[in-house]
Order: sequence, then C-alpha cells, then structure tokens
Amino acid sequence: MFLTRSEYDRGVNTFSPEGRLFQVEYAIEAIKLGSTAIGIETTEGVLLVVEKRVTSGLLEADSIEKILEIDSHLGCAMSGLTADSRTMIDHARVEAQNHRFTYNEPLKVESVTQAVCDLALRFGEGAEGEKSIMSRPFGVALLIAGVDENGPQLYHADPSGTYVRYKAKAIGAGSEGAQTELQDDYFQTMGLVEAEDLALKVLKQVMEEKLNVKNIQVASVTAADGFQIYPDEKLQAIVDRL
Amino acid sequence: MDARIDLNNIGFDFDLTKRNAGLEANGATAPKATKTGTTIVGLLFKDGLVLGADTRATEGPIVADKNCEKIHYIAPNMYCCGAGTAADTEFTTNMISSQMELHRMSTGRESRVVTAMTLLKQYLFRHQGHISAALVLGGFDVTGPHLYTIYPHGSTDKLPYVTMGSGSLAAMSIFESRWRSDMERQEAIDLVKDAIEAGIFNDLGSGSNVDVCVIEKGKVDYLRNYARPNERAQKEQSYKFPRGTTAVLKTSIRDLVQVTEDTAMDIST
Amino acid sequence: MHVRPSTHPTSQAKEAAFSPYEDHGGTNLAIAGPDYCLLASDTRQSNGYNINTRFAPKTFKLSNKSVLATAGCQPDCAMVTTRVKQSMLTYKHNHNKEMSTSAIAQMLSIMLYQRRFFPYYDFNILGGLDEDGKGCVYSYDAVGSYERVPCSAFGSASALIQPFLDNQVRNKNQLGKPKVTEFEPVTPLPLAEALRICKDSFTSATERDIYTGDYLQIFIITREGVEEQIHELKKD
Repeated sequence: MFLTRSEYDRGVNTFSPEGRLFQVEYAIEAIKLGSTAIGIETTEGVLLVVEKRVTSGLLEADSIEKILEIDSHLGCAMSGLTADSRTMIDHARVEAQNHRFTYNEPLKVESVTQAVCDLALRFGEGAEGEKSIMSRPFGVALLIAGVDENGPQLYHADPSGTYVRYKAKAIGAGSEGAQTELQDDYFQTMGLVEAEDLALKVLKQVMEEKLNVKNIQVASVTAADGFQIYPDEKLQAIVDRL
Repeated sequence: MDARIDLNNIGFDFDLTKRNAGLEANGATAPKATKTGTTIVGLLFKDGLVLGADTRATEGPIVADKNCEKIHYIAPNMYCCGAGTAADTEFTTNMISSQMELHRMSTGRESRVVTAMTLLKQYLFRHQGHISAALVLGGFDVTGPHLYTIYPHGSTDKLPYVTMGSGSLAAMSIFESRWRSDMERQEAIDLVKDAIEAGIFNDLGSGSNVDVCVIEKGKVDYLRNYARPNERAQKEQSYKFPRGTTAVLKTSIRDLVQVTEDTAMDIST
Repeated sequence: MHVRPSTHPTSQAKEAAFSPYEDHGGTNLAIAGPDYCLLASDTRQSNGYNINTRFAPKTFKLSNKSVLATAGCQPDCAMVTTRVKQSMLTYKHNHNKEMSTSAIAQMLSIMLYQRRFFPYYDFNILGGLDEDGKGCVYSYDAVGSYERVPCSAFGSASALIQPFLDNQVRNKNQLGKPKVTEFEPVTPLPLAEALRICKDSFTSATERDIYTGDYLQIFIITREGVEEQIHELKKD
C-alpha cells in the first residue's frame, strides 16, 4: 500500500487505485501539527479556546491571532497553516457581508460553513467556469462558531471540504487526547462558565507549555453580545479558577 | 378695381394653429379638452332610422362624465350623434341647429337632412380638421329617412348602417353580423343597443349607459338611458364624517350689519 | 398663376423609434394590519383603448408569508416575479429555510437597481408578515427605492385611491382619530374594515379610471396562510 502511495500522492487531481486523494489526506495530517483548538457548544452560546505557541520570550504573544471574527454573530478558531486560513476567513467575511447586503439579515452558521467548504475544494486545475485559487488543498481546519435563529452552533470544517456539527470538538496537535476528555466531561445542560472550565482544563492537559493568559486565546459567541474575544482580566479569572 | 385674386390671401387663416404647434414643440402645454372616447351608431330600418350612443366622456384616463348626452338635437325631425372633442361636437351641432331653424323660418318648409349634412361638411372642411367632430347624422324628411356620417375633415358617407368613434369597430362587428334591410322597429332598437354595448364593454373610451333615438315619419322617440347595464355596486360602508371631523384653524366673525339703538322711523302717513 | 411654396416636403427622412415599454394599466393596493396583510389588484390588462384580457392576475403568492403585487408592463412584471421566485428557491436550497418577507424586500430592491439604466417597467408592492407576525407592506419604485409603509396604492388609479387610503386608513385630516404616521409599520384597522375599504376603493376607482375594472383579486395573509378571493368589478 505504501508503494502505491508514492506513485499517486503527488497529483491533487488523481485518485489512487484504492480511491484515495493523498494530497487531501496529507493536508488533514498537517493540521495535527498545528496548535490545539477547542470549541464547545452550550445552551448560552459557543466557546472557542486555542493554544498559542509562544516559542520565544521575544515573541509578542498578542500578535498571534488564532481566533477571528467573521461577522458580529460569527467567530472562527483555526489550527494548521494559519496563512491558508486568511483566504478562507476573507471569503467567509465577504460571504457574510454579501448576505447582509442582499437579504438584510445575518448569514446562518451552517451557510457560512458551507461557503468556506465550497472554497476548500477549489484547488488543482479548476473546473470549467470556475477559477481555481490554490494549487494544493488548504492545510487548515476551522472551528466555526455562531448564533442564528437556530441557536448557538459549532461546526468543524476540514481540508477535504467536509463539515460536521459538533457539541464539542478539538483540533490540532492535542486533538486526540482532548476529544476523549471532552467526550467524557461534556453534558447537555452546560453553560458558558462550565464550558470555560472544561475547555481550559482539557487544554491544560494537552499543552506542552504551562497554560497562562499569554499562551491561550478565548472567545465566545452569544445571542446577546455576539462574537467577543475575552480580555486578559477575564482570562486571568478563568485561569485562576482552574 | 383689381380683378385679380391673390391666392395667398384667400380662405381661412391657420396662423394660430401653426403658432400653437410651435409653442407646444417648445414645451408649452395646451389646455386639455374633454374627449368623448365614444361609440356612436345609426341604422336604417323598415319605417325609419335609429341612432345610438354611449354616455361616457373622458379626460385622458379619467372618466369626466358618466352620463353625458351625445345625441344632439338638430331639428324636430333630425338628430346628430357626436364623437371627438366634446366642445366641438356640442358647438357644431348647436350652430347647425340654429341655422336650420332660421332656414325653416325663412322658407316655411321642414328641414331636409341633406341640408344639415351639407352645412356640416362645409363647416368642417373650412376648418381643415382642426374641429374634431365626427358625426352620425340622421333624420326623416320629405324625401324619406337619411343617415350620414361626417368626418372631421369634411368627408361624408351615406350608408344604411354606420358607426363612429373609438368603439366603432366593436359596434360595426355587431352590425355586420346582424343588420338586415327590413328590420322591425324593436328589432332595430335592440340591434343598436347591442352595438353600443359592444362598444361600452370592449372599448375603454366608451362606457356607462345606452342612449337611443328612434326617428320615423313625423315621430321622434328620444330614449334617454334606454339601457343601464353598468349600475354602480353598493358601497360596503358609509363614509359620513361625524360633526367636528374637520379641524378649525381660525375663527373670525364679522358684523356685516351695524345695529344701532335708535327710535324707529315713523312711516305712517 | 401663383403657386404657394410648399412648407412641408413630401418626403422626409424618418427614424423608426423602438420603444421597449408599454403600459398595461391596472391598480394595486396593500394594507398592513396588526396581524394580517391585505393585497388587492384588479385583473384588467389593457393597451390604449383596448382590453387585452379581463382576467390577467398580476399579484402572486410567493410563500405562506409573502405576496408580490406588480403593475406596469406585463412582461417586465412577469420577469421580475419569475426571478424573485427563482431566487427564493435558490435561497431555500442554500440556507435550508423559507425567505422572510424583509429578506425578499431587500433582494427585490437589489434586483431592480441592477437594471438602473434599463429598468423593468414595473411598480411593485410586496406584502406579508414580518418576523413578529405583524403585517408589512413594502412599496417600490421601478429602480429599487423602497420603504416599509402602513398602506399603499400603485398603478393607473393610484392617484384616486392613495388620498382615500390616507384619509380612511391613516386617519389623515380627521380630527379626533389617532394618526397613523409614516413611521408606524402597521395600521390599527381590523381586517374586516380593511377589506371593506379595499373593496370600496376598487369599485370607486373602476367608476372613474378607464384602465381599472373587470375583476378584483384580494390576498389576505395571516398566520394561517394566504387566502385568495375574487370579486366582480364593472366591465365597461
């Protein structure tokens, strides 16, 4: 099997005899090198927590941005090649604004996820009438959080263009361990505060460095306040609770 | 005296018409005249003739009069339906009617339809179509029943059944399919009524009621509103305003008569 | 012999002008109430003094919550309606939900403005229920300017009906009755009275506007859905 792989893993437009697209699978592998990101959907809203790898004391921790706003009611956490995510987030932002302009209403969480996933497949030579924008698949996975008329929702989108809704999801280097932890401790009636505690507890376990306010980033999306990145004081309070 | 005729200075002067056209081309708007979109008809039957007309008058897309009279009196034995500009048909028929009366006075004979027709066509031709009156003239004189159409430019037709106005095609379709030369009086009235109704319902310029005028030897029956196929539907509710609905912005009461206290004048003699 | 010089040459070069627009007449009316919306149109389609057909509906149900009334050039009206319906279906496929009336309102505005320099000859009224279940009426010009109003009349008899609505629905110039301003989204009228006013508007407009008549089509939108009624109007 590994022999065939070496022959078919170069082209993004060629299936292997077993029916696999290796470049896409490798892209998914790339995410496992990225920093850990966790998302939890609660009754009050959706929580996003990411690990920031502050590899040097000289590095300005504030300049690492791994949670971004798409619209006032939509947020996104990423893991993998952060540069690739720029294209996707830009696309999502344009899509959300376009929807507001055309329909005078906010875009649904599932719709923005769908829009991003449509983009994820536009690699290779490009189909007829559609220009490809990347020569290779994106090397990034996204956790898209938002609130719409269907309540708070969390979606996971990966380089294959597949998206799935989760109650709680971890991506990145520590995802395997973290996902098991989330599975064990998640409960339906969870509120945001409980989610904060759970997410940070899990993140702390899978992070190599010691968790502090400088090497994590937390954001929430709620019906009342929309997308909000936690300020340092609020972060400190959660860390102190741990 | 110079016997030569200067061809440039004969006939009517249409300078004002040209001036008005020029003004309109430069953006001025002429006052709008009431037009009778109109269906008017006439036909001969065994003992005489029947004239018919609808009763709608329009001003552009608006109905100006829902029950106007379009069958005009010319002489005791002669009536004339008018289509076109309401004022033109009214004044033209009135004027000819007056001339016919004077003519009767000076000759002491009953008016002839051909006389009225000739006066009308000469008058309209003189004005080169600027008087927009399209007429259906009918009467019964010493030579029998006669029916004419007179166009705004002065041409005339003498036919056994005629229609005019914007509803003329709708009305003519009825005549063409059902007219016969030996019709009875009631048959003729019904056919005229149906022709006018065809105009009323299928031509937007015509509407409301059917007026009919039956002219026979020594007898005229003017059947005003012979048919009323378009009665207004009952309103759903009353729109009477209670007293005090209209705001009073200012009140000013003035004494028009000064009443002074004084001893009454003695008018006894 | 004197010959008068001709001022009008017998033949002159003439440019045959093509006009893509035609006015097919007809009138629309809409009233928004606290829990209903009412849209009404006559069904006469005319051209000049001719009646093309006595029954050409120009108001269309878009969903259980919205109805679109169109007036102007029939093919343009049909095109706009088709495009709105098509976009609504695409939207449903993309977002897995029915379009709200306010979303249709915004989309229609953009659709019309896209043709800013070759507009659809079409004057629209969009009526329905808003997110709170209140009646809503959006009235448009041909190039997409729109606003939410308590009531509106459009088409050939609009000049006859609108002042009547202002007086009877919005209580303008009536002392001792509460005014319904431009800023209020709905009128306080009960449905039965709005229906009576609507019918009287059309029977009266039919009396004086030659392009209005034949049949009256009324759509009543409530929480239960869309009800359609047909009434007779005068045919002259």
